[in-house]
Amino acid sequence: MKESLMEIVRCPMDKQELELEVIQRTDDEVLEGRLVCSECGEEYPIEEGIPNLLPPDMREDAPA
Amino acid sequence: MGLDERREREKVYQPAEDSHLLATAARDEAAPTDRTLDVGTGSGYVATAMAETGATVYGVDPNPHACRQARESGIRVVQGDLTEPFGDGVFDLVTFNPPYLPTTPEEAVDDWMEVALAGGESGRAVIEPFLAGVGRVLTPEGRVLMLVSSLSGFDTVVELANEAGFTATTVDQDSFPFETLSILRLDHE
Repeated sequence: MKESLMEIVRCPMDKQELELEVIQRTDDEVLEGRLVCSECGEEYPIEEGIPNLLPPDMREDAPA
Repeated sequence: MGLDERREREKVYQPAEDSHLLATAARDEAAPTDRTLDVGTGSGYVATAMAETGATVYGVDPNPHACRQARESGIRVVQGDLTEPFGDGVFDLVTFNPPYLPTTPEEAVDDWMEVALAGGESGRAVIEPFLAGVGRVLTPEGRVLMLVSSLSGFDTVVELANEAGFTATTVDQDSFPFETLSILRLDHE
């Protein structure tokens, strides 16, 4: 994901701002990391450049 | 196409007549200055059509396989549920080709293609929360283009859109042996 995404994404649970923690990045993209809600503290993973902002209950119910 | 890629594509809804109708309307509607969101972006087909106009296009899908495929097509993608992971008033245009096939609980199978196609017993199980939530992420002049099939009850979908505070206009339509597909444009009242 590009860092400019931070302007438009919010925590899906309480719509508060997210903080970006980068684990691995390229020149223009974050490949691995997490987005953490500044209010409720819920953590959303970024894997292979894709942020997973599904609410926790949908993350666990997903079909294979 | 390699075997892995083929297996991956089998888990993602691939473009069909409905995708083409929505992509055409979206390409006509999007402006280069627009920030747009394609909900349930799947393969990224509609999103890619909008991006041709110069618009800044985002895609969202709950399916991780769809997210990977859309990302490979160059779409800025978020794995998420409808418009839930986005802030207020951030999109000028939202497009949506919903899962709309009426499905009984007995028919339900738990896989990603089912999620892409099935709309519950009414065909509106995903359309309803979409209409209830999309207004929040639109700018004041923001608009929605969504595909509506006669199978999921066109008039009822228009009523739900009105209840959510939108005026609805049909901008395109095409008939097939088992359904009529319409492109509905929604504007804030």
